[in-house]
Amino acid sequence: MTADVSLKSIQHSFGTFQALKDINLTFDAGEFVVLLGPSGCGKSTLLAILGGFLTPTSGHIKIGGQDMSRVPPKDRPTTTMFQDYALFPHMSLRKNVGFGLQMRGQSKKERNRRADEMLELVGLLDKANHKPHELSGGQRQRVALARALAVSPDVLLLDEPLGALDLKLRRQMQDELKAIQREVGTTFVHVTHDQEEAMSIADKIIVMNQGSVEDVGTAEDVYMRPKTLFSANFMGELNTLPPTQGEPATNTVNCVRPENIGQAGDVSMGQAVLENSAFFGTYHRCHFRSTGNDKTSYIANFPVGTVPQVGQEIPLFASNIITLETDT
Amino acid sequence: MRRLGWIYLIAIFTFIFLPVIVLVLFSFQDSRLPVPPFDGPTLKWYVQVINDRSMMEALRNSAFVAFTSAAIALLLGFLAAQGLSRVILPGSVLMRGLLIAPMTVSYLIIALGLLTVFNNLGIRPSLWATGVGHVVINLPLCFAILFAAMGDHQKNAERAARDLGASELQVVFLISAPMLKPALLAAYFLSVTFSWDEFIIAFLLTRFDVTLPVEIWSMLRSGLSPATNAIGSIVFLVSISLLVLLEITVFRKPKS
Amino acid sequence: MTLEHEERRRAFGFVAPALIWTCAFFLIPFAVMALLSLAHLEGRAIIQSYDLGNYIKIFTEPSFFKSIVVSLEITLTVTVLSVLLAWPLAWIIATQVPPHYQRLAIMLAVLPFWTSYVVRSYAWALVLGQNGVVMQGLIGIGLLDEPIQIMATRTATVIGFVHFFVMLLTLTIYSNLIQLSPNYARAAADLGASGWQTLRHVILPLTLPGIMTGAFLTFVLCIGDYITPQILGGNNELTMPQLIMLQLGRRGDFPMASALSVVLMAIVTLAYAATARWLKMERV
Repeated sequence: MTADVSLKSIQHSFGTFQALKDINLTFDAGEFVVLLGPSGCGKSTLLAILGGFLTPTSGHIKIGGQDMSRVPPKDRPTTTMFQDYALFPHMSLRKNVGFGLQMRGQSKKERNRRADEMLELVGLLDKANHKPHELSGGQRQRVALARALAVSPDVLLLDEPLGALDLKLRRQMQDELKAIQREVGTTFVHVTHDQEEAMSIADKIIVMNQGSVEDVGTAEDVYMRPKTLFSANFMGELNTLPPTQGEPATNTVNCVRPENIGQAGDVSMGQAVLENSAFFGTYHRCHFRSTGNDKTSYIANFPVGTVPQVGQEIPLFASNIITLETDT
Repeated sequence: MRRLGWIYLIAIFTFIFLPVIVLVLFSFQDSRLPVPPFDGPTLKWYVQVINDRSMMEALRNSAFVAFTSAAIALLLGFLAAQGLSRVILPGSVLMRGLLIAPMTVSYLIIALGLLTVFNNLGIRPSLWATGVGHVVINLPLCFAILFAAMGDHQKNAERAARDLGASELQVVFLISAPMLKPALLAAYFLSVTFSWDEFIIAFLLTRFDVTLPVEIWSMLRSGLSPATNAIGSIVFLVSISLLVLLEITVFRKPKS
Repeated sequence: MTLEHEERRRAFGFVAPALIWTCAFFLIPFAVMALLSLAHLEGRAIIQSYDLGNYIKIFTEPSFFKSIVVSLEITLTVTVLSVLLAWPLAWIIATQVPPHYQRLAIMLAVLPFWTSYVVRSYAWALVLGQNGVVMQGLIGIGLLDEPIQIMATRTATVIGFVHFFVMLLTLTIYSNLIQLSPNYARAAADLGASGWQTLRHVILPLTLPGIMTGAFLTFVLCIGDYITPQILGGNNELTMPQLIMLQLGRRGDFPMASALSVVLMAIVTLAYAATARWLKMERV
């Protein structure tokens, strides 16, 4: 089951604080959407509005073409997977996963069959009779996923579901989440502040800041061709190039990612001295300081084996320059 | 230092247990006065108390008031805690304060207030009036215990259940109550004990169908007697049994 | 109506029954009583005169005013003695008893808590009486020639109260102590404090919230109790609750009983304000 979602002129205020400012978005059916942004950017508020826990101050939500703005959570074709999983501690995994179907009046046999099917999907069928406290963090996360998917929602909402896991497990769960989404075909809307997580799972990334949408697109779009300076900075490290001498002052700025600086490229950046470097496995992270008048410092990622000596002065070149409007 | 500690421990435990030991020991006294020298043991005072019809009547009354009023206090306290922990309502702090307030007022004042109002309304003192008073004193206790036990964990589980389609009643019976079982049992047990043991409200608000503490009180006016020791020991035994039962069933769950 | 309004309406529905109960059987009775305290008794009839006659009487007539003094003296003595006796017990259980046995130890230490309140006072009357085990024991080992009068004095009341409140305070202080991280003591020792200095300058101040909570409970329960002074203290000097009961019993003087209750309530409120303010100051 799956459906498209459209958000039209959504605004939301908590008292005098404007949490969301005029959000207009559409998600296609079956899409894996990630809402990405720093804490307080409004992404969780937007998710709560999608799930029916908040009514927007103004604006409309449509799911599968139907207006859902005032429909309570239990009557929406959405389910939410909560940050702390909210598994029911006194129920076995099978009962947890079957709970939504029980509420819909399905027979015990029918819901146990479905629960087992979902537990198998997440690889925990052998633990169907265990209680949540007997599981590890990653396993609990899988059960929460199975429980939310068991009622066949059109849209699954995930509120920072991987936040409590350690880094290694988080990367592994991202792959699993993506695979399961492909298999069930449900529209996933996933909230996170981790841009690597967003890039590894999203069909569409929505970068948010201070209640507004900064950027929308595929991982490649928002990384390589960000629309705003905020979006560019949030997606990864960025070097700002000084304005070219003699050109009239503009409200644009040229930026370049560390991996696009090298000893050859499209644009010359002048001479620079290597101040120090650190080994990161697949590359060296190098700090350069320009020897020109401005003494600008740059961060560049150099492939292993191509790093100059510390203190050595070399010419630097940049490629894939991103031109962005400054905030003013 | 160490020796001082031991002397203190022995002294304080003697102090704490002295009245209980004297109470129980002299309930087995053979002669008519429960004072040294001890000349028992005999069970005749127990037999006398158990055959005392008004005493057994008072015991039944006490049990009835205790179990009923505790159940009402638990229900009201549970619902209130559920409501106040769910969302922030306008006036939440005020409501919490009002619900807790009776805890800081002495039972005598609560009893006097109820007596005044009941007199004005022409309601006769009765077990029911006493029960009403006992709900007033136990409601803050139940509310406070349950409100403290409802953390974010609880709130999120309830929200998840609603999201999965559970109705309000289903949330209460399938999620909230089972998750809060230890706190519910503890609050109920404490309420039963407090009501069972309460004197001044029962004294002012009952007339003929008295409760056990009131009956014991009137027994005291006829002087010291091993029979009083016997009924006191029985009450103590009942409380301790309940306590042990609670400890075994609720708090000694296998950990893992 | 928005979803949040709907949520709030439902939540309020849950709170309403308890609020109604508390208003009907606690708040309104108290208001009625406060109003009644402004009336006076003429013969057997209550005349609503809306004056402060009862209050003036309480604060000017020595027989009334003395009960306030007696109640305060007894309550403060009991509170201080109980804290002094309970703290070391709570500390020994929390730090010297192996963790596995602590629950058992604390339950044992407060076991007599579960005797009936009336019976407990009666038991102390047995213990402290002229023929009781204490006097007989002291005479038996030759410390006394003849029994001294403790029963029906303030001493008996204080002993009965202290017994009960030592158990209560042991509970509150113990639960405060076990919440303290053992690293406080380790840090103090690491910085060169002796065992006694650690106790005095680190652990004791950290248990002040537990002490204050317990002391406030002690104050409230002690000043409002009728049974213990009535059974153990006798009628030589009256506490406020005894005086209230006397008004009710002898003459059915509800207005005076109400006025005394309002004064009692005011004293408790003042104590609460002092405790709350003090605790708040400590936390900053």
